[in-house]
Amino acid sequence: MSDPSHAIAAPIDDEETAIPLDEDAVGRISEGAPAWLSERRRHAWSMFENTAFPTTRSEEWRYTDVSRVVNLADLRLVTRASLPQNGHRPPMLAAAMDEDHAAAGHTVLIDGTVTHVDLDPALAEQGVILTSLRSAVHEHGDLLEELLATEGLPPEEGKFEALNAALWTDGVLLYVPRDVKLELPVRATRWLSHAGSAVCTRTLVVAEPGSQVSYVEEVLSEDFERRTLVSSATEVIARDGAQVQCVSIQRLGRDAFYQSAQRTLAHRGSTLDTLNVNLGASVSRLDLNAQLLGPGAHSDMLGLYFGDDHQHFDHNTSQDHIAPDTGSDLLFKGALDDHSRAAFRGIIRVHPEAQRTDAYQTNRNLLLSDEARADSLPNLEIEADDVKCSHGASVGQLDSETLFYLLSRGMSRQQAERLVVLGFLRDVMTRLPLGGVVEKVTRAIERKLQHV
Amino acid sequence: MSDTPILTITGLRAKVADEDIDILTGLDLTLQPGEIHAIMGPNGSGKSTLAKVLAGHPDYEVTAGEIVFQGTSIHDLEPDERARAGVFLAFQYPAEVPGVSIANFLRAALQARLEKDEEVDLFDFQDLLLERMELLDMDPSFAERPVNDGFSGGEKKRNEILQMAVLRPALALMDETDSGLDIDALQIVAHGVNTLRAENPEMTILLITHYQRLLNYIKPDVVHVMVNGRIVRSGGPEVALELEEQGYADWKTQEVVPA
Repeated sequence: MSDPSHAIAAPIDDEETAIPLDEDAVGRISEGAPAWLSERRRHAWSMFENTAFPTTRSEEWRYTDVSRVVNLADLRLVTRASLPQNGHRPPMLAAAMDEDHAAAGHTVLIDGTVTHVDLDPALAEQGVILTSLRSAVHEHGDLLEELLATEGLPPEEGKFEALNAALWTDGVLLYVPRDVKLELPVRATRWLSHAGSAVCTRTLVVAEPGSQVSYVEEVLSEDFERRTLVSSATEVIARDGAQVQCVSIQRLGRDAFYQSAQRTLAHRGSTLDTLNVNLGASVSRLDLNAQLLGPGAHSDMLGLYFGDDHQHFDHNTSQDHIAPDTGSDLLFKGALDDHSRAAFRGIIRVHPEAQRTDAYQTNRNLLLSDEARADSLPNLEIEADDVKCSHGASVGQLDSETLFYLLSRGMSRQQAERLVVLGFLRDVMTRLPLGGVVEKVTRAIERKLQHV
Repeated sequence: MSDTPILTITGLRAKVADEDIDILTGLDLTLQPGEIHAIMGPNGSGKSTLAKVLAGHPDYEVTAGEIVFQGTSIHDLEPDERARAGVFLAFQYPAEVPGVSIANFLRAALQARLEKDEEVDLFDFQDLLLERMELLDMDPSFAERPVNDGFSGGEKKRNEILQMAVLRPALALMDETDSGLDIDALQIVAHGVNTLRAENPEMTILLITHYQRLLNYIKPDVVHVMVNGRIVRSGGPEVALELEEQGYADWKTQEVVPA
């Protein structure tokens, strides 16, 4: 972002809150924690140490040479929120939060620590829980012991999943009891301010049978002056018949490496939909796995990205159909300008029991410059015989005749690109049923388009 | 003549940018404000090239001659600058813009005509659009459809006319507007053009067409015959009728054996 009103996020200046990523850090972060959690963190750290750093030789990381993206030894863990001295929120954070009036509840995370939670008291009375993971460790220990980094994203999943499971500082627990329906979304705003930090946070969403909830998070920062790791682990569980939507909008500043792992577990008759919008960060990596665990479960998986400069987006998705009569529909669309680059690697896996699966996977890219690049690798792995599956991928240039058509109506090249990009991404946005989210995403894209 | 011509083309030569041979080979043409001119000619005569060169298509390069629009050379103007100056090209094959409604497309086009700190008023725009659609007997729901996406040939041409109605150009270049239209669609489009013309008699129109039939519905003041990249004959509407009877064969022969 070249807007001069945007400050640059400063390096960590408080040595007490900044510690190297090592075994000592695991010990320090575990102080005061229950035994199960300390043990889980220690186990995760040993998984981290025993897992090789990913290289492009592995199929899952072929599009991103992560050893060139981040050197973990250079990063420092931040364990406390550092609010601005004058008590004022940075303008970018304030603007994002002020858009979020219509909500069932809010959480704010500053540098990986929850600093604010509010929830509609009527919902709290019905048993809805919205709280920080740090509090939940004590107040809802049984729930966390059962579900945090266990069936969702255990440290065995990979190097970064293990790092996050060992060193998460805080995060959000959202729990919706049986048959409770939230009309408005729960919103989370995650703000990062320290260049050179590693911030690991987790999100756990549990929707009990017949409940309904949507969770919308926005991750944002100014530009950093050196490489900064923002690591997310999101576990979402929709029990029988629950309806869950999770939206994540990433607007980090330059020099951020955004690493997000998400797993959704959809039980019988549930719908569990996700939308990931990636607009910021220098490098972003999304690992998204949808598990269709019970008959009748369905997941829509939407993705949007828009790159400029030298931004690099890597999307690694999988749709696991484990039970029969399940459906999933993935649509990832992105526009790429300048030297930006996107990779999509997606797989639909239909397990032997999963008869009558309906699974779709589409990735479409629009290149706005000759230097932009998109790679797309859709894949199918089908072990049942009665299924409907399809996958498709495309990479197209902004058509010169289309551009001329818009120019001939008086639009500048910039205005023409803006219109074409918004039009291209529109069918993803129109599939979002959530009020307010379309506007928020459109605004975020438009803000970015102003800089093209 | 006391009038200042709206468009004066002198000695215009132009080619496809990365090729050697000129397609326009010394074309002269003058249009007075409010006139309707038709350019007719066989396939390959350069008619559509002329339209694209006038609109500033980047695939074409002017190698000689001059185009003066409203008293100023437009040689150095980009296509969007020409459009904002008042040139409108109704495309033979308009592009599709998926996901962008006609209304949003037109709002962006009007926005482009404003100063940076000005914004199109949403309500004024809605009123304008509805009024323009009513004038052209169009259903308001048409404006909500994505631009040319899945349109029939007739719908695409009607969309061009609607844009012309909203943008109100001083000079409309209509490139083979009749191609691909059945007689009903042709009448609807011609009715639209005539309605706009009646509303604004100052609007100048250059019709580019292969066939005479469009000229039954839009009456030109002057008809030009174009062969091998230049105008070889100009006259009244009777020229079109002659062509209808005799075809272009005689003209082609004349070009092969220069006088």
